[in-house]
Amino acid sequence: MTVLETKRGAGAKRRHPRSSPRKKSKYRKADAASAWLLLTPALILFILFIIIPTVVGFGLSFYQWNFFDTPVFVGFVNFVKLATDSAAWGSLGVTLLFVLLGVVPTIAIGFMLAVLINANMPGVGILRVLYFVPVVLSVAVSAVLWAFIYDPRQGPIGALLRVLGLPPIDILNNETLALPALVIMMIWLALPIVIILYLAGLQRVPEDIYSAAALDGAGPWRTLWSITWPNVASTTFVVAILQIVNYVASSLDVSLIMTNGGPLGATTALSLYAYRQAFSNQDVGYASVLSVLQLVIIVAIIGLGRLVTRRFLR
Amino acid sequence: MRLARLRIGRYSTIILFGLVIAFPMLYLLSGSLMSFSDIAQYPPRLFPTTPIWDNFVQAWNYLTPRTILNTFIFVFGVLFIQLAICLPAGFALSKIKFRGSSAVFALFLVPILMPTNLILIPTFVVTLQLGIIGTFLGLILPVAGQASVGVLLFRQFFATLPDGLIEAARIDGANWFQTFFRIALPLARPIIAAYSVVTFLTAWNLYIWPLLAAPGPDTRVLTLALAPLATTQFSNISPSVGFAAAVIAMVPVLVVFVVFQKWFTRGIAGTGLE
Repeated sequence: MTVLETKRGAGAKRRHPRSSPRKKSKYRKADAASAWLLLTPALILFILFIIIPTVVGFGLSFYQWNFFDTPVFVGFVNFVKLATDSAAWGSLGVTLLFVLLGVVPTIAIGFMLAVLINANMPGVGILRVLYFVPVVLSVAVSAVLWAFIYDPRQGPIGALLRVLGLPPIDILNNETLALPALVIMMIWLALPIVIILYLAGLQRVPEDIYSAAALDGAGPWRTLWSITWPNVASTTFVVAILQIVNYVASSLDVSLIMTNGGPLGATTALSLYAYRQAFSNQDVGYASVLSVLQLVIIVAIIGLGRLVTRRFLR
Repeated sequence: MRLARLRIGRYSTIILFGLVIAFPMLYLLSGSLMSFSDIAQYPPRLFPTTPIWDNFVQAWNYLTPRTILNTFIFVFGVLFIQLAICLPAGFALSKIKFRGSSAVFALFLVPILMPTNLILIPTFVVTLQLGIIGTFLGLILPVAGQASVGVLLFRQFFATLPDGLIEAARIDGANWFQTFFRIALPLARPIIAAYSVVTFLTAWNLYIWPLLAAPGPDTRVLTLALAPLATTQFSNISPSVGFAAAVIAMVPVLVVFVVFQKWFTRGIAGTGLE
């Protein structure tokens, strides 16, 4: 409120006597020149490495190209190829599995843990570090660790199976288990950020709502579900988008490092399939189509998610 | 009495889940000092019988000092350029009224939630055409160009500075650049800290782009040296040495995190578009 007021007050004072009240004088040429100068460095890099690639990415999907020769315009040939490429649809299924297995548990666990550590008790501030600390890990570092955990000969899971007299399972080379195993690692990697975002959201929920709920005799679970959860809906929305994007696109790093897309393509999501088409098959046009497809999927899942939450939760 | 019991219950739950979450990482630290027989033992050992510091010597030699230096060049290059471009842009977009301001802002907003992996291939194409693949420039500039979040964050921050303050400087005869450097920038220290910590961490942990842009020995960064350990560590190198290498790669970010934890959580909350 106060911020708004000071802004308005300053805005009123801003027109010093020389400036005429006509609308045109809102902009001053000298101001514009300085503004563009301050913006230029950011604009150059941003246009060069974000805007141009985005446009080029769409454009290349209509070309046949191998990075080196002259690109050949082929119209919709790459899109037609997509329609008949069963491997691409298989990898689309893998992408959807990553999203399906990953997003909801990440949000649910992250929310519950944030509520748990959102306690106003001495010492909790320090204990929170335990929850935040995996955020410093790269996919590469955690891959070294989790590859060991899943290793049938030396890892703890393999050792446990041996003690129980069960046959060893090579989890990362098992068609059914490899993908869930990667998702578990990704959930673990994503939790700190989700918890931090929810903590920020929880701290904006006004205290008196809780006291009112307590007065009405609401128990802790009831309060959690009917008071806390709806009050962090905007955080959930942001977290959901970030996580959908995370599981569609970032599975590339994870599967590339840990399974190289195997076994038998069981962890080759669209992102990795596109990467292969570009950098192993040198089929840049087709790879671009696959990238466009990923964007469509992200937008579709977010749109569908909004639709569903509007229908059933409001 | 009941309240006290509840509190103890909550404390124990917080500690329990905290340990579950932190456990893999704590085990990484402990395992990096274990001998081969320690780490392969069942039931698993929590601590090494005797710490084998030689694991770190081997890991250091495997990673090479050059790779560590490369990583610092890469990360500080990205950080420095990002601050140098995003701060003035955020300032111009929030405090200077000029025609086209909202259009430029909209341009920066467009890819805000678009994962950079989606434009990986065309970014590689552009970098290739510029002839800087395999160099630090090619490694750093495309990452530094991801300016959306920074511009948005700094624009939001500068918008909270009272206009009167900026006006006062302008009336005193300061031009926009002086106003930016002398008035706005010193006040932005907290948000710069928050953004820097997050950027440092993100850049430090990048894998795919360095793999594509500059995988050669002169520019190779730590994640590239580590990744092969996740698949071949069990044939060539003892897992403990792999762990030690992972710890070496983790220490700088861990230090940054512990020292700047307050800024870090703020930065995440800020860059999460909160």
